Amino acid sequence: MPKVLIIDDSAVMRKMIQRIIQQSGFLIDEFVEAGDGKEGLEKAASSNIDLILCDWNMPNMTGIDFVKALRGSGLKSNIPVVMITTESSETRIEEAKNSGANGYLTKPFTPDQLKTKLGNYLLVK
Amino acid sequence: MALESLMESIAADIADATKTLFETMILMDLKYDDAVLVDDTQIRTDVIGMVSFTGRYHGVIALFCSKKFALKIASTMLMTELTEFTNEVKDAIGEVSNMIAGNVKTKLAAQHGDMHLSIPMVIAGEGLSVTAVNNHSAVGDTTLSCFSKDPWLMTPFISNNEMFNIGLLLRESTK
Repeated sequence: MPKVLIIDDSAVMRKMIQRIIQQSGFLIDEFVEAGDGKEGLEKAASSNIDLILCDWNMPNMTGIDFVKALRGSGLKSNIPVVMITTESSETRIEEAKNSGANGYLTKPFTPDQLKTKLGNYLLVK
Repeated sequence: MALESLMESIAADIADATKTLFETMILMDLKYDDAVLVDDTQIRTDVIGMVSFTGRYHGVIALFCSKKFALKIASTMLMTELTEFTNEVKDAIGEVSNMIAGNVKTKLAAQHGDMHLSIPMVIAGEGLSVTAVNNHSAVGDTTLSCFSKDPWLMTPFISNNEMFNIGLLLRESTK
């Protein structure tokens, strides 16, 4: 079963996303958390992560810099990344796609929107 | 666009963004009224969640609410009953402020060029007031002083019979 890494500087948002994913019925082995992109890289390197959900605006390393670093890292460079962020302009979405993000979801989002977006990467019970 | 008209337009965006947020993620009912200009002597609150922004225009978007309401928001977001005003509650208020400001930023940037938001800041006490430094007067048990010559454009909201406000300060940046 998949391991999901959630990268967001808000602990509340990390918990909310976990709760919505669980309530959506997705099969998940484990949630791993990180508070910024730098910690996210460390967790991605040290755990067998299957999907990464990543905020944009974070201290130490932003989400977009995390995606670029991950894609350039070699060994773990192919893990799917869905950005979950308040940045909703077309420019940002394009930038994320060009940097290697696989999906994009803007905050605030409904539980159904998250379920639809993650349905491309996770199986339901 | 005249600053006053722009502020009213932003206040409408704030109302829309807040309504969307409460309906989609916080799952609490929400009503609101027209925004009004208030001077800083009229603001009294327990909790302030604020995000500042810069760009062609700069200013602050701030959420003003009671501790009771802040606990209610955080409890609903986490689906657990929170009774103590912990960092988790402040995090929730910061995230709410961030999502409202982020929504407004997208609309404002589309019309007026790129904007940058600060990280959210949450200030919590009891009976906090916001007052201009050169008109300092103690209102309530704790006084938070910040310099603001301009009035706030304040949108009043009601959710679960609790009132809260979201305020906007705005100035055009000098070229």
